[in-house]
Amino acid sequence: MNKGAGSGPTAAAAAAAAQKQKTLMQRVETDIASIVDNFSQLVNVARVFYCLESYLFFVITLFPLKVNDPPVRNSQESFMMEMRASRMVQAADSLLKLVSELKQTAIFSGFASLNDHVEQRTNEFNQQAEKTDRMLARIGEEAAASLKELEAHYYSSGHRTTQNSQQ
Amino acid sequence: MNGNLEISVDKLPVKRLDAIEETGAERFPPDVGYDEKRESLIRRIDFAWAVEKDDNKRLKKSSKESSSSATTTPWQWQNMVENLQFAHQELSVIIDLINTVEANDAVTVAGMTRPKALPNEVLSDLSVSAATKLQCYRHLGIYFKQSAKSLEQQIAKEARFYGALIRLQQNWKVKRQRVAAPASGNEGFTIDLFDNSLYDSAPVSRPSSLSTIRIDHDSAGMLAINLPPNSCRSFRFGFLGVQSGDSSKQCSKVKNSCSPRPSKEAKESVNDDECVREKHSLLREVHQAIFYEQVFDIVNREAFKQSLGVNVTGIRENYLQLGIGLGISIFLSLIPSNQGDLSVDSWVNQNVESGILPLDSHDGVKLAEEKDDILRKSGGYPNPLTYEIYLQQVFHEYLYGRAKNKPISTGTRVSGPPTKDGSGLLGHFCLSLAHRIFSNKVHVELENAVCGVPYLHLVSHPTWHSRTSSWTVFLKVPQSILHAESNSRTAETAKSHFRTNVVVNDDCIHVEGEGTPNVVGLFKGRSEDMSSMNKYDCDLADLPVIILQQVASQVIRWLHEEALMVGIKANRDFLSLSFELDQGETVSLVAHVDPEDMRGCISWWLVMEDGFAAERKLSIDISDDASDYKKFLGHLSLDVLYSTLMDLVSLCGGGSH
Repeated sequence: MNKGAGSGPTAAAAAAAAQKQKTLMQRVETDIASIVDNFSQLVNVARVFYCLESYLFFVITLFPLKVNDPPVRNSQESFMMEMRASRMVQAADSLLKLVSELKQTAIFSGFASLNDHVEQRTNEFNQQAEKTDRMLARIGEEAAASLKELEAHYYSSGHRTTQNSQQ
Repeated sequence: MNGNLEISVDKLPVKRLDAIEETGAERFPPDVGYDEKRESLIRRIDFAWAVEKDDNKRLKKSSKESSSSATTTPWQWQNMVENLQFAHQELSVIIDLINTVEANDAVTVAGMTRPKALPNEVLSDLSVSAATKLQCYRHLGIYFKQSAKSLEQQIAKEARFYGALIRLQQNWKVKRQRVAAPASGNEGFTIDLFDNSLYDSAPVSRPSSLSTIRIDHDSAGMLAINLPPNSCRSFRFGFLGVQSGDSSKQCSKVKNSCSPRPSKEAKESVNDDECVREKHSLLREVHQAIFYEQVFDIVNREAFKQSLGVNVTGIRENYLQLGIGLGISIFLSLIPSNQGDLSVDSWVNQNVESGILPLDSHDGVKLAEEKDDILRKSGGYPNPLTYEIYLQQVFHEYLYGRAKNKPISTGTRVSGPPTKDGSGLLGHFCLSLAHRIFSNKVHVELENAVCGVPYLHLVSHPTWHSRTSSWTVFLKVPQSILHAESNSRTAETAKSHFRTNVVVNDDCIHVEGEGTPNVVGLFKGRSEDMSSMNKYDCDLADLPVIILQQVASQVIRWLHEEALMVGIKANRDFLSLSFELDQGETVSLVAHVDPEDMRGCISWWLVMEDGFAAERKLSIDISDDASDYKKFLGHLSLDVLYSTLMDLVSLCGGGSH
């Protein structure tokens, strides 16, 4: 959340955040309720019960099918089951989208910790830069010392003298 | 009457006259109500009378049978026959009814009830329902499994994507643009590589086209960054006409190409880590490419300022050529990162302008390292990579060090120009480079001079300043002489070494040495004025001679002091030491310097002059070794010189005594 200096914008931001949180919670609850409800309905439909009024009749043309007739009820129930199943999946998908939204919100709202992390990294890198500078300076000094030593050795060595004599 | 009596029978009288009264009033039968009419119609199909008749028949039969059944046994199928007859009867009633209904003769079916189902029908009904439900549940099960699988995959993909994005966000600035119609699940994430702190300052005028990078999903749903090929360009610096065999930089650069990689099939967790690291590397390269572009931009703008002293000698797209003086030309270019060293060098060759440098251009692209070094040494060119890094460091310090409002770290040894004004950066860089090349040449000259004289040592002094170099030429008195002196007397110890400092600032050579008599001292003839430090500037061509003369004069000074030590009066000139003999004769030890002399740069002559030699001085040919007045002693070491001096001293001393 924004650590603003003034209380005005922070309060508004807090209110907006609370509102958004409430909305999200509502969506979550709606989705979960939908899943639970549809699932319980699905389980309920599993009961196969005997209806007194359901007769079979051979001559179907004369006797029109009523709502309570088994074929009607079977197809009705299967359609309802499919519908409830698809609603469940839809609710699950909606939850997934909600999670994505939450993740996106998380990416763009945790700036305090991000700033701290960046500060820490900056300090680390600065220290490393200073360390590297010191190391380079030390290398330079060592190189200078080595150069001096080597020059002294070379110019007082027999190798140079023989070179001169060969010329 | 005719006898034909016509009678018409009216078949459709609605109402029949019931009676007629005397008065003539007709009396019709009362109207039949609707219900009554219906009832009468129904009675027409009322078969009750037939049923009753049948019942009566049955009763009669049964009574007959019962009277006769006492004697006979009943037939086992009798009941079935009777039932069938009853069924037949009922069916015939129903068929008649149906025929009547079909005729639509004022009777229609109001409603029917089904007959009660038998148990087996009920059970089959139930079983069908159960089977249908079971089938339906199985379908649902399959549907749920598929949905679950796809949802899990989606969750996994999103988890990977957002996990990677959050990891990238630790180091890079992630932004989101709300797209109206997200295509293929792209939520509009971008990474912004532009540094806002630079935007306010003058050097950076516009953000690079690479500043905003779009984040996509790849085929596996993982985070992907797709860049157009050759969009990342790297910096290249070089000397015109000198081909750099340094391909290590190209090899170490851009291990990850900018083109998208195909998806791997390794373990996902390891793959994700690698993927994120790859993306980090890619973003870092783009960041670097942006920096290089900024540097090139600034260099381009500053190169045209007249006050710098550098000349723009060539300009093309992503290529700038500068003349920095001393006949040196450098080039700066931006080349695509994945272009190899081979193609770069050939590309550079195409852009070389002729006649600028004395170095030959080479046919082969790849040069041997040794040959390259030799060329560099002969021309005094440093490794262009070092100066490429230096250029980047200078501008990086300027751009980002200033933006962060930090002073230059005291640890850095490279002192730069004043950071308040960035316009001097390129000038400083070019001057540093020119200085380096010049100082290399100075160093070569000094080395040659020192190598030519055995008793000279050259000591380099790293100044840690990019435009100053310093050396010291040491003249060391051999230890044997020093020991001899210390044994003979307890006077002040003579100097064991003489120094000549050579300092190069930019392209000015400043020589400072002791032991050279100054002009005023010469006139006054006082020895104490003869040992001051002398400072003067010279140019490169004269440097060897100057140094050698300085050294020779130091030797002369040393010899003079030695002579004074033993109590002999000697006269010292710039490069000669004179002793007076009897009869006004003088013998001089004269130094001769020649930088080109392969046997030694300082040679010595012994010159004898009588009192009348001054007249003949002008006609003396000093190159004539066989002259009576001059003798060439050769290239003497300090030991030999000392002993020569002692001989001369003894000569003078013996002569005087």
